[in-house]
Formats: sequence, structure tokens, C-alpha cells
Amino acid sequence: MNTARILLRSQCVRCLAPFARTTHLQAVLSNGGLAHCSLGLSSTGVQQVHRAFHASSRYDKNQPVPSTLKGSEEDGNKDKSLVAHDDLFERAGKEAKNKATFNKVVEVFNKRDVRRRGHVEFIYAALKKMPEFGVERDITVYNKLLDVFPKEVFVPRNFIQRMFNHYPRQQECAVEVLEQMENHGIMPNVETKVLLVQIFGPKGHPVRKYQRLMYWFPKFKHANPFPVPHQLPVDPVDLARFSLTRIANDMDTRVTVYQMPYTDITETGEEVQEPHIVGIQSPDQQALLAKHNPNKPVFVEGPYPLWLRRTCVYYYVLKADPVPPEEKVEEYMDPELVGPQQSIHYPLWIDMDLQRDMGDDFSFNVDNVEEGAIYAMCMAGQGDQVTLARWIAGLQETNPILGRIPTVFRLESGPRELQDLTEPQRPPGADMEAEHSAEPDHVMEEQQLGGQRVKQ
Amino acid sequence: MAASRTGRLLSARLLGTSTKQLVWPSASPFWSVPRRGYWRPGQPRERKWLWQRINFDFAKGVDGVRKNVGLLKDEFLQRWVGPEGKPLLEHMLEQTRVLWEFRGPESLNQWLVSSDREIGGRSEVYLKLGRNNNTCLLYGTLCSAPPRDGETRYSGYCTMRSEQLRASFDRKKHHDVSSFNTLHLRIRGDGRPWMINIGVENYFHHQRDDIYSYFLYTRGGPYWQDVKIPFSKFFLATRGRIQDDQHCLLLDKMNTIGFTLGDKADGPFQLEIDFIGVCNDPAHTEDFAYEVYKRNPEV
Repeated sequence: MNTARILLRSQCVRCLAPFARTTHLQAVLSNGGLAHCSLGLSSTGVQQVHRAFHASSRYDKNQPVPSTLKGSEEDGNKDKSLVAHDDLFERAGKEAKNKATFNKVVEVFNKRDVRRRGHVEFIYAALKKMPEFGVERDITVYNKLLDVFPKEVFVPRNFIQRMFNHYPRQQECAVEVLEQMENHGIMPNVETKVLLVQIFGPKGHPVRKYQRLMYWFPKFKHANPFPVPHQLPVDPVDLARFSLTRIANDMDTRVTVYQMPYTDITETGEEVQEPHIVGIQSPDQQALLAKHNPNKPVFVEGPYPLWLRRTCVYYYVLKADPVPPEEKVEEYMDPELVGPQQSIHYPLWIDMDLQRDMGDDFSFNVDNVEEGAIYAMCMAGQGDQVTLARWIAGLQETNPILGRIPTVFRLESGPRELQDLTEPQRPPGADMEAEHSAEPDHVMEEQQLGGQRVKQ
Repeated sequence: MAASRTGRLLSARLLGTSTKQLVWPSASPFWSVPRRGYWRPGQPRERKWLWQRINFDFAKGVDGVRKNVGLLKDEFLQRWVGPEGKPLLEHMLEQTRVLWEFRGPESLNQWLVSSDREIGGRSEVYLKLGRNNNTCLLYGTLCSAPPRDGETRYSGYCTMRSEQLRASFDRKKHHDVSSFNTLHLRIRGDGRPWMINIGVENYFHHQRDDIYSYFLYTRGGPYWQDVKIPFSKFFLATRGRIQDDQHCLLLDKMNTIGFTLGDKADGPFQLEIDFIGVCNDPAHTEDFAYEVYKRNPEV
């Protein structure tokens, strides 16, 4: 926190003699203020001689400005017409939309005027353009944007200014920058704090917002017991593996890739894209399936959605209907193996209810929802019956009883196009009509554990 | 200024009743509609007098009298069995209580469902009973395109909230869960993060939008998920903005509980709830998870 301490010292010096213009004091100020001045140098690149608070500054115009952006600037200045700040971004975006061009645009704005006229509008425009350039998750870009504010001008100098929201528009603009950071879940760093303190002083609204971010974000950062990484695996098979292990609820499950995606050439010579099939099953589920009554069918239901941040993947489930109580078979437990008479050296049944007191009863007074057993799950590139039949065939190798059990497919009516996993996140307004028309069918028929209709 | 410009996450209101008409901010007599609630930009600001708001209908009056007298009779007779009809021993010794369960269509009447359609958005949300009338299914589509009214900036939320308990003659009744310290839910989501909002009974007018919230992370998948959240983890937020002065959620007058989805991922969603209960975890001794002292550190 050296920078912060130097900052405070320099501020104190300024408080003592705000209007002193002696060269001696200027030297003192320049020495004291070198730390943050160097920050300013590195970001803007313009050689600035440090000035006293109300003195003018001299700046060096030797730094070259990119020619594409410079030419139009001069034209604009000559015409004295209003140049919208979106224009700058659009022109830069024609070449490429990435962090480098975004930074270039900000630098051009910084170099244009040392007083940074119109910086509030520029920052608002930049905030809107950030998602297009793909930099909304980059903390260095936010710091660069905060650097656009002229330093020390907005710091209140007495209690009246502090009371009356000194430079409210600029404070609101900085709060907007921090709010966009908050919306994307990006933690600010110490450079953000130093910048905010330099620009608005330690008691303004932006610094308070920063303090709130730094208080609440660490508390909620690890609140998710099932965290999803920001960078999901791109390969569909890896993604299927990740999501299946996530929903499996069992540590003993085994993931099997029944088919990798490949291009098949049929007899007629046309190429057909075969999808991937990834299945998951645990030994407990295998045992349950082995005990399944062959007269009852098993159902392949799906596709059910699973959301991982912004992507939705679909999985299919092999399950059976719940067994009615009259047909429930009581398992025969050998009293020598299980129960109070079991062997004490190799116990199969352990009653460890000792942590609960005699009077404690933490069960809820509700009937358990009767549901059928789930035997396996899978994710496939296409949701049609042929692909899923291949999955069942693959499952049959480890569960031979499947050969004798009738399998019924309860899939969604109509061809269901799965979302392409490599597709970037759709912007919120786009193709809503297509979704809406498809939505009513999907929404009305979607029941978590399928209705009574049987589709084949 | 900033608060009016940014869109706020509203507490759930029944579709259609949030269009409260407002009068002009000039001095208005006390019998006209007071200025409150959210005014959707573009709606006409009509002036409705008190007698225009009340529905004077004979059939409705008869129904109302019948219902309220029945409730009053219950209240008089239930106390001979025990508090609120529960035997006294059960009330004293219970360690878990089921607050809401979904057995039958009348259980859905206790819930209000709302989405950002009220502010002009395009999300849809529906509530229905799940399979075998045992669970409830909250499903719909989320769309985070903000409404183009020049004022709202963020959009895309769907909520479900329990209704306020009513005693006879529309008096407010509260849930008293002071002998418990953990909220227990049995849900089956699709991997989306939800937020649980608990509304409590407040004394001051300024506290009317105070909601205690915490996150509900669903795993997704076909298995039921038991979620246990201690009440000490709920933080205080007003109109969606987390507050600086935090205090513990007081359990003796809980009014409503709600679930909100606003995770900016456009597309269909669903949440299946089996039951909502409270239990007492004796191992949990925390009073409050967040700092209560004044936090205004000097830089």
C-alpha cells in the first residue's frame, strides 16, 4: 500500500498550501506526487509535467497517434461539429473487436484533451460497447476506463463540498462503472481503489461502492456448493462428461463414452454426422436394474435441461415407473449377515443412530414423493430414437437384463434441435420469435418426470 | 437519482394489480389514492377516489361474511386443542415443521407468481402442480431484454411468493418460527441459481421493502435436492439493494417467503418444490453471519 501512503502524504502537503506557486513548493509537490503521476504516465503515455493544483500544465505532443483515428479527429475539430463517442468505437471496431482496439480508442480519447472534455459521455458509451469488444470481464480495462477521469479535480476540499455531492454526475458515472463490474462478478483490485481515491477522494460515493464490493464479494464468492467454471469445456464429449458427473449425485459413477462424434458415409455416398453418446451409471443403479421386473417396461425420458451458467445442455434418463405398494418385494436379508445377529467381525449392517438423542426426531411430517428408480443417464448430440437406442444397446453390455425388458421412449414430440454447444451466448433480443413459437409446445409438455402418455 | 434510473428487482406482485394509479405530486387530499408503488412509464396517471376503489357488491359481501365468521369460529374453538389447532405437546416438542407443501390444487392458491411482464419485459412464468399432485412446478421462460421505456435498464426476472396469512376479517397473521433456526427445502432445479426472499413484519414505513435474502443454488439433474439454509445467513436488502446496516432476521413474525430467478441467462427454466419446512439444527450456534457494527473505514 505504498502508493496509498504516498498519496495521503501528497494530499496533506496540498492541504497546507493549495495556492503556493513557488518553485520550491512545486518541487516538493512533484516529488511527493511522483508515485501516482507515474501511474498516469504509464496509462496515458503522454509526458506530463506535474503541475500545482491550479496551474496549467505543459504536455508533450511527441507521442504518435494512430493515423486512422487521427485524421477524422482533425476534420471534426475543424468543423466544430458534435462527434458522438460511439463513432470512435465503431471506427475502431471495423478492423477488429478486441481488447487492443478498445484500449486504443481510450488512449485516443485521453490524448485528445488533457482536460478530458466530455469524459462522462465517453465512459458511458464505452461501458455500453464493452460486451461487443469482449472485454467486460477484464479488470485492467475497467481500470483504464476509470483512468479517463481527470485526477484530483473532483476531490471535495471542505465539508460543504463533501455534504453536497461534489460533482454528482461524475460520481454517478464512476458508480455505473463499478456497477457493471458488479453485474459481471468481477472483483476490483488495489489499482481501482487508488484510482478512485485519487479522483473522488476517500469519502465519495464511488469509494463507498468499492468498499461495499470488497465487503460482500468475498463473502459470496464460494457460496455455491456446485460451482460451475467460467470456461466450460468446448469439446461436447468433455462437456457431457462434466455435466453428467455433476448431476449424478454419486461418487461411484462411471462415465462411458458409447460413441464419439464422427462423419459416416452412407451407401448413397452422402456424409452423415453421427453424434456423440456419453452415458453414466453407478454400481448401485446397476444392481437396481438387475432386480427390475422384466414384465414392466423401462422408459427413456427426455430431454431434460441442465443449465451451466449461460449454456443449456440436455440429458436423457432411463427409469422405471414407481412400483405400487402391493407389488413391492421384501428383500430377504440373511439374519446371519445382516441384523443384530450378524458377525461382529464383518458387519454388513451398522446401526449408527447414536448421534441423535432419544427424543430427537428431525424427520419432516410429509409423505415421500413416490418416484421410480433411475437406472442410467446419458447425453447425446441428437435426441432421436436411433441414437438413444444405440445408448441402450451399449448399456446392455453391462446390464444384460435390458435385453429382456421392453424399452419405451418418452421423448418430446417433434424433432428437438439441441442448442449447438459452441454457439456463443445469444444476445437477449435476438431470435425471440423463434423461441416463443417453439416454447409453448415445450413448456406445456414439459413435466419433470413425464406424463402418462407413451410415445414410440 | 441513480436509484430512479436503474431498474429495481421488485417484490412479487400478482399480475395486474401492480398498476396502481398515482396522483400528481402536488398536495392531494387524504381520501384520494396515495402515491405508492411502482408506476410503469407510459401508463396514464388516473385519479381514483376511495369509493371508486372499493367494490360494493352484495354477493361478495355475503361470501366475505361467511368466510370470516367461519375463520372466527375456528379461532375460538382451535385454542381449546392447542395454539393454532395443534396439540400443545406437539407445538412444544416439535423439532421440525412443514410450512408449505403441495398436496392438491388448493395449495397453489397460497402462492403469487410474477415476472417482469409487469414492467414491460417478456419473461413468462407459470405455476402448476407436478406429477401426482405431490409437488409444484414453477416453469417459464426468462428474457432479459429490458423494456424500451427509456427508464428501465435491467430486466429479466421471475418470482413466486407466498401470500400473507390472513386471520378472520383480513387481519394479518404471521408465521412464528422462533423455535427453529434452519430453513429446509426439498427441490429439484435445473442448475440455475435462485434467490430465497423472506419478508418479515416491520414496524416503520421505511422498512416496508425490507427483504432478507439468500441464494439457492440448484444442482440440476433428476434427483431431489435437500437444501438447508440457516436463518443466520440471510442478509438484509431493500428493493434489491443490499444494505450497509445489517441485522439478524427476526423469526417471530415471518410473513412471506419467495423465490426469484434473475440470472441473466435467457431461456426456459423450471423449479420443482416438494415442501418447505423449518427445522432446528442444534449444531448451528451462529447468531448472524455478517458484521453488525458500523463499517465506514477511513481510507
